[in-house]
Amino acid sequence: MTKVWAIAWKDLRSTARNVPALAMMLVAPLVLAGLLGFAFGGGDSFDIAATKVALANEDTPPAMTAGGAAAGGAAAGAEAPPPASDAFVGILTSESLNDVLDVTKVKDAAAARARVDGGDAAVAVVVPRDFTAALYGSGDARSAVELYVNPTQQFGTAITESIVGQALLDFNGARAAAAVAAATAGPNAGSAAAQAAAAAFVQGGGAGEALTFTSRAPRTTGGESDDVPMVGLVLAGMMVFFMFFGASEVATTILTEAQDGTLPRMLTTPTSAATILSGKFMSVFLTVIAQLVVLLAAGVALFGVDWGRPVVVAVLSVATAVVATGLALMIMGVVKTPGQAGAIGSGVYVVLALLGGNFTGTVTPSSAYATVQGLTPNGPLLRAWDAAMRGGSLGEIASYLLVPLAFATVFFVVAGRRLGRRYA
Amino acid sequence: MSIVEVRGLSKRYDPPKGVLAVDDASFSIERGEIFSLLGPNGAGKSTTIAMLSCLLRPSHGDALVDSHSIIDDPQAVKSVIGVVPQEIAVYPDMTARENLVFWGRMYGLSGAELQTRVGEVLELVSLADRQKDRVDKFSGGMKRRLNVGVALLHRPSILYLDEPTVGIDPQSRRSILDGILALRDQGMTVLYTTHYMAEAQELSDRIGIIDHGRMIALGTHAELVRIVGQEARVDLTVDHMLEGMVERWKELPGVSSASVEDEHAELLVDDANAVLPRLFEEAAEGGSRITSVNVSEPNLELVFLHLTGRALRE
Ligand SMILES: Nc1ncnc2c1ncn2[C@@H]1O[C@H](COP(=O)(O)OP(=O)(O)O)[C@@H](O)[C@H]1O
Ligand SMILES: [Mg+2]
Repeated sequence: MTKVWAIAWKDLRSTARNVPALAMMLVAPLVLAGLLGFAFGGGDSFDIAATKVALANEDTPPAMTAGGAAAGGAAAGAEAPPPASDAFVGILTSESLNDVLDVTKVKDAAAARARVDGGDAAVAVVVPRDFTAALYGSGDARSAVELYVNPTQQFGTAITESIVGQALLDFNGARAAAAVAAATAGPNAGSAAAQAAAAAFVQGGGAGEALTFTSRAPRTTGGESDDVPMVGLVLAGMMVFFMFFGASEVATTILTEAQDGTLPRMLTTPTSAATILSGKFMSVFLTVIAQLVVLLAAGVALFGVDWGRPVVVAVLSVATAVVATGLALMIMGVVKTPGQAGAIGSGVYVVLALLGGNFTGTVTPSSAYATVQGLTPNGPLLRAWDAAMRGGSLGEIASYLLVPLAFATVFFVVAGRRLGRRYA
Repeated sequence: MSIVEVRGLSKRYDPPKGVLAVDDASFSIERGEIFSLLGPNGAGKSTTIAMLSCLLRPSHGDALVDSHSIIDDPQAVKSVIGVVPQEIAVYPDMTARENLVFWGRMYGLSGAELQTRVGEVLELVSLADRQKDRVDKFSGGMKRRLNVGVALLHRPSILYLDEPTVGIDPQSRRSILDGILALRDQGMTVLYTTHYMAEAQELSDRIGIIDHGRMIALGTHAELVRIVGQEARVDLTVDHMLEGMVERWKELPGVSSASVEDEHAELLVDDANAVLPRLFEEAAEGGSRITSVNVSEPNLELVFLHLTGRALRE
């Protein structure tokens, strides 16, 4: 048994020193899950640095006009409305956006642009002089908030644009509502009602109640139900897919060691072929377990994934690692050279991933595709991970493990026979 | 007492039509000797080593290594042999020390014994100062030395070396040959294969010449060269050939024949060292000068040529 561990330890150490292998096993699934998960709308779980924004408020609310004063008089003792820009600034600097926008107020437009030019901010937001005037003014008044962006910071720019755009849309909506109210109330009341409505809206917005960003952010949808973040589902698919490759990476050392002479050399020591193959099994199994643990932990740390009950996750981890190990070893038993292992292995894994739904997620039960998924070694595993993330119990996932473990048994029998015959 | 007894060992690859790589080989290796298998590429040297290492099952015959049968008790055989494969079989992404620790475990060593033995072997193969460096940073000669060191970890009773000097620089070759001689002097038995006649001659206590899977001759170097006769050939040139000088040379004791052509003479002698001074004396007495001498001692090259009709080196 010490020899089995010696072989496993040697292989684990080699893998840990193999930077390309680590990138494939650990970085690729995380990057892909991050990109795909975000693209599919799981972005609210993203942990990204807040975008640095330089904000210049040049808004100068006009003194009450003659008409306005008259209307003000009509609006029974109401105070002069606050500048609309205060509400706008309030939105951008609200606490709920703290994680997304890091806003620094500067004194004027030139200072804001200078921060972008100097690399201290990704975006400069300039509220123009006539911002309040345009909002409260007559129908054809126009005003534009200026965004001055660093073109290399596309992500931050896009986020800021969407937040600013959303806020302005709200202002415009309020203004339109006021205009409608005014038209309905008649020409005399019009101006005063519009101003009052807009002012009320602005006050509400300034208090941060009507205009928070999060309430308007696209909701995460798992399609079907519950609140399993999409990124978790995507990461599970990637994790299983890349565990197959990780297993293959290590299992291929059986063939490379046979070629390089270290495997025959092991056979000249008092170490049986069975011990050597057990060592290789252990190498592959422990490697994919280590890969899985890192990916699970990264899923929690980077994307806030909740994988489910610990005991379910543990059982599922072992089952997934066993399937990946068995499949990889069987491929080594069938092919002859490391080159063949790479080519044939990749083909098998991609086809299984397409059939099993590693890239597409689980589909409506009872469809033909669902049946196909259920008959792959990986498809039911993915459903089990899905169920685990929804808080499923051991009993609920057990039925998903039957097909994968049956496959694994076949894999091990074939691998044992073929490798045993070849090296014993 | 023999440590290896090979009895009628044969190997045919892919029977029934494949190559008969080893054909009914029988020989024995004595404790403490260096025994070489000398033969051209494809002669069956590696196949013989593989069978004696229990890596390949013989088609016929058996061999006893330290009185364990390679067929009935391979595990026992494997624990007394140290095998140095022809290709370097160590892990390039591990350090020298990590390699030795791993291979030591494969030989069943552990704990303090393993650490001690690893240290000793590092000294033995002069890699102690580089033990923490990865093997892929080593020179070819250093890798070769590590390759040998691995096989010494468990203090084997017999060391097999399969062409350990192929493709390395003369200096590394020298250090490996010296290392093998030093091991022999400490009592190690060595089975060595090579296609270099000079290596076999220098190292070996006994040599088996193998060709097309057959052991065609076996003995000490002296015994083998006797196959082609004991005589050395002396070629010499004089500034002028004297009347009757060749006849006088022919009558010298130890000279069996002499022929002459212009200023060149060719003699067959049984001991060049004894005869040469007399040849010079005879020439000097007559006032002739010998301007060049070339002595060809009989060698394994000639033996191989004699036995197979082919040169050892293609
Ligand atoms: N695995 C093999 N399968 C078939 N033939 C082989 C194999 N290994 C060696 N041979 C053949 O057996 C003969 C002896 O080879 P080998 O023992 O490697 O010779 P040497 O080591 O003396 O160069 C050669 O003709 C070689 O081609
Ligand atoms: Mg060979």
